[in-house]
Amino acid sequence: MSHDSTLTDSQQNLSTFKKVKQVMRLRRFGLGLAASSAMFLVGCARNAPQDTWQPKGDNAQKINKLDWMVFPLAGIVGVLVFGLIAYILFRFRDKGQALPTQSHGNPAVEIALTIVPALILSVVGVFTFKGIFELAQTNDTQMVINVTGQQWWWEYDYPAQVVNGVEITQPIITSGQLVIPTGTNVLLRETSRDVIHSYWIPALNGKKDAVPGRINLLRIQADKPGIFAGQCTEFCGLSHANMRMEAVALGPEDFAAWIANQQRNAEAPAQATLAQEGEAVFLNQCIRCHQVNGLKKADGTAAIAAPDENVYSGAAPNLTHLMSRNTFAGATFDLLTSSCRKNVWTASPEEFGSAYLKGVTTDCLNQTDLRRWLRNAPEMKPMYADPIKLARSDGKYRGMPNLGLSESDIDKLVAYLSTLK
Amino acid sequence: MFTTGSKYCFGIAGLGSLGAVVYMVLVNPSDVGVLALLGIAIAMSLVGGVAQFTGDFDVDSPNDAVTANVVAPANSMWPLVLAVGGVFLLVGMTTDPIIFILGIVIIIAAGVEWALQSWAERASSDSAFNRFVRERALTSLELPVFVGGGVAIIAVAFSRIMLAVSPQNGAILFIVFATAVLIVGFLVSLKSNMKKSTIAATCVLGAVVLLVSGGIAGFNGNREQLVSAAAEDHYSHKDCEASESKYFDKNSENAVSMKSGVTATIRVKDGKLTAQLIGIDTQVQAVTVRRSNSTTILFRNLDDAQYRLVANLGTKKIADTGVEEEIVDCTQMTGKNQTQALILKISKPSASSGPYTLTVPGLEGQEIAVVVP
Repeated sequence: MSHDSTLTDSQQNLSTFKKVKQVMRLRRFGLGLAASSAMFLVGCARNAPQDTWQPKGDNAQKINKLDWMVFPLAGIVGVLVFGLIAYILFRFRDKGQALPTQSHGNPAVEIALTIVPALILSVVGVFTFKGIFELAQTNDTQMVINVTGQQWWWEYDYPAQVVNGVEITQPIITSGQLVIPTGTNVLLRETSRDVIHSYWIPALNGKKDAVPGRINLLRIQADKPGIFAGQCTEFCGLSHANMRMEAVALGPEDFAAWIANQQRNAEAPAQATLAQEGEAVFLNQCIRCHQVNGLKKADGTAAIAAPDENVYSGAAPNLTHLMSRNTFAGATFDLLTSSCRKNVWTASPEEFGSAYLKGVTTDCLNQTDLRRWLRNAPEMKPMYADPIKLARSDGKYRGMPNLGLSESDIDKLVAYLSTLK
Repeated sequence: MFTTGSKYCFGIAGLGSLGAVVYMVLVNPSDVGVLALLGIAIAMSLVGGVAQFTGDFDVDSPNDAVTANVVAPANSMWPLVLAVGGVFLLVGMTTDPIIFILGIVIIIAAGVEWALQSWAERASSDSAFNRFVRERALTSLELPVFVGGGVAIIAVAFSRIMLAVSPQNGAILFIVFATAVLIVGFLVSLKSNMKKSTIAATCVLGAVVLLVSGGIAGFNGNREQLVSAAAEDHYSHKDCEASESKYFDKNSENAVSMKSGVTATIRVKDGKLTAQLIGIDTQVQAVTVRRSNSTTILFRNLDDAQYRLVANLGTKKIADTGVEEEIVDCTQMTGKNQTQALILKISKPSASSGPYTLTVPGLEGQEIAVVVP
């Protein structure tokens, strides 16, 4: 009797053990399913401004077409290869079994595994090379813009030229947002002042490295008015992740208006205003690095910034028309409040131009972030801006330091910067 | 329980985690270094887990290796080499950094060799198996080092010879050397029954001839033209009044570096000065140069007369004197169909001390504006 009872206990234990094992398996399966579903669902994100599958111009469209051919092929090959590896890893894992018979060489398999990938790569190669040559052509350029990368922002300067009948008589210099006319083949001439960066607006074209001492060419074109996000894609130091950019495409008339505004010098603020006091603070502090075209010193001579003496890259953003763009600090932070920003980003192509050209109005200014930035910039964006740790960069900053401004100075500066339309 | 490989991976993971904690405490908790160390720890944990699950990396081969070790260790030259490395290290500390670095390299190499030799000798009681273990571990390290070192020595010796002889004789020597290598290689491939000792003797003889010739050439120094050109510093374009250099590099336009970063090409043709910007087909009269950025401008002369391009970059005050001095840079005199490069780095905008211009002495009244935003 006791013997029977022992057997029953063992059987019960075995049954419980099997159930536990089944539950564990189900849990593992559930976890795997949840993880893969989450990864799959990420692809359905609607607010994805850097989605490479949504081309907004001819060059990006060419890449997209190539993607649609290569991606399924690569996907099938990837699933086969990784599936096979996973199967072999699991099926033939070491369980203490004897070493199976070893064999070396199988001509039929080896030839097949050489020819099949070669055929796949040949087909992919033909279309890829065709795409590369199409994207590299420059003989149909209608506009040229110099793009210069430095830690951790992009500068754009527009040489004197005629674009679609609009004449740029004086070179324009801006940063953060690249403004281009729609339906125009724009050639970006990229370089860098310090380390290698990479320019990438996914909706308009692929990536192109900006290398010190070299000029690399990247063509972009936007079909309709709109704003397109991008970011540096070559690791370039501490704030690489914060080196962002936006391309803004404007219709012909709006672009002409933007050009006209950008060629103007900054106007002096009205007498006896907070903004005028802010101008004095700017001349005392900010002019060391930031240029404002048309700004004059107390003696009436032009105030010239000297970023080459203070910043490792030798440049700092030109702020002449700061409030005509929607972002600051390498397009990392918004100058617009979230609701005003939404109005610009969600504007229809027909309304986009007027929404963008409004610039940053007083009621739309994101004072919170701007003030925080002026209060202590390195706290918002990691930069090499500690005055006691500058030995490795010849005593020069990489980024904006904490200027130790008083709240009163910040109020004045915000008032002055708001006038730079 | 744990396989050898997984222990190794878990060990690195543990070390990475510990390193991350130490880094956080001693350096900066939010530094990228912490992320890197934690990344290593996570990655190695993953690899270790897979290795443990699949039983991979189990190189102990308990079925093959005999646990008892009864073979006495063989003599080793590595302690001696290690000591030599130490001497280099100490001497280098007080003399030359290169000797110091060489000492470090010797110590590391000797240490690795010695450690692996000792480890291999204790792998089993079978000396043949131990040799196999040693070779398997070290050949993959030794072979690239020996081949790389050999190639470097040959390259240095050959380059000394080429720098010592005239360009014409250099070309002949190059052809002779390449032909000799080709013929020897061809003969070796034809005569499959050739003795190994014959092949080795030929190679050693060739290497000795090359090394001795290289040594003699290195001892005698570079050819006269190179010495004179270096003394003249003909790559510098600062002295705009100097006449054409005797050693002017007429093929400089073929240099890749000159073509890779060109902002504009300035041309003289039929006495007219024009500029062309990269990406714009039309001729322009103004060149936009980025501030504080090295900018290469090519000057191409298509006329019979010799010209040079001069960049007039405003003025600057000479320190302590207050005297204004013109900033001028220029190419060398450039003959017909020749190209020279001018590399500018302008730190101030045109508005400060401009206008900046590019002019060509001899073509009066013509200039290209240089605009620095």
